[in-house]
Amino acid sequence: MRRRVPELCLGIGFVGIMSTLFLGLNWAPSVSINAFESPAAQRIFYWHVPSAWAAFIAFGVLFTGSALWFFKRSPLGWRLHVAGAEAGLACGLMTVWSGCVWGAAEWGTPWDWTDVRLNTFGLLTLLALFLVLGRQSQPDGVETRDTFSTFGLYGFVLVPLTYVATRIWQIRHPGPVIAAGDDGGSLQSSMTLVLLIGALSFTIFIIGHMMISMRITHLEQRLEQAQKSLDGGN
Amino acid sequence: MEEIEMEGTNYLTVAYLGMITAIALWTWTVVVRSRSIEARLEAVELSIGINASLADEIAVQSNVNSQDDATV
Repeated sequence: MRRRVPELCLGIGFVGIMSTLFLGLNWAPSVSINAFESPAAQRIFYWHVPSAWAAFIAFGVLFTGSALWFFKRSPLGWRLHVAGAEAGLACGLMTVWSGCVWGAAEWGTPWDWTDVRLNTFGLLTLLALFLVLGRQSQPDGVETRDTFSTFGLYGFVLVPLTYVATRIWQIRHPGPVIAAGDDGGSLQSSMTLVLLIGALSFTIFIIGHMMISMRITHLEQRLEQAQKSLDGGN
Repeated sequence: MEEIEMEGTNYLTVAYLGMITAIALWTWTVVVRSRSIEARLEAVELSIGINASLADEIAVQSNVNSQDDATV
């Protein structure tokens, strides 16, 4: 049963994500046509925000794993690093993709190079891409792990920077709509509910993914060890 | 009846189709990779009788080296 927990998380998360999509498209109210250039495209928000939230969780796991490997030489730390980088890349790409499509609909351009949040989040996703591709192309070893862990540690500085970006420099990306301060944000309660279901679902889904990813890394290490034993025996 | 805004709906469709494809591909790849490596490993380990607890040789070796450095 314990071995199936990751698959269970994936299943529950997936059902939740699909429910979020259904509720976002059919139940959540429309936004004012005066406030948005493209009110229909605003519904992208119901996956865009939760996937960004999930990406931040993944980058947190990447940071923790990098620190555990770098300072404690923990095998668990390295597996967390790998899982965090893969999940961060997947969720980061989903966030960037949905953001670009919404930007094209709302702003008339998919990207704004002057917007701090867009660029710091884009850099985070590129960092995850570098870590995933780099690990696949380099032979596994202490130096390789140390190098990638250093990137994981220093790259994390972009997470708080991305979080505060729209609070300090609001250029194009909208400011916070929930947990925005004393006024409680600008969302209707039904919109907030759909968004929370989405955030919870993406969180469960990404936890399942990271557990499977950690298992794969462990299995790859065992396979490598087994192959070395096999080569040594011949 | 609410007026249907086609252009916005098209953007919405493109965004969600892209993300659904990403989720499906990512999940499918990971689950298949996990199952395939699990099966391969089981076969190899059974044939040579290896201990799974010594799996991450790099971490084990790195810890041994750190301890050696500390005792010098």
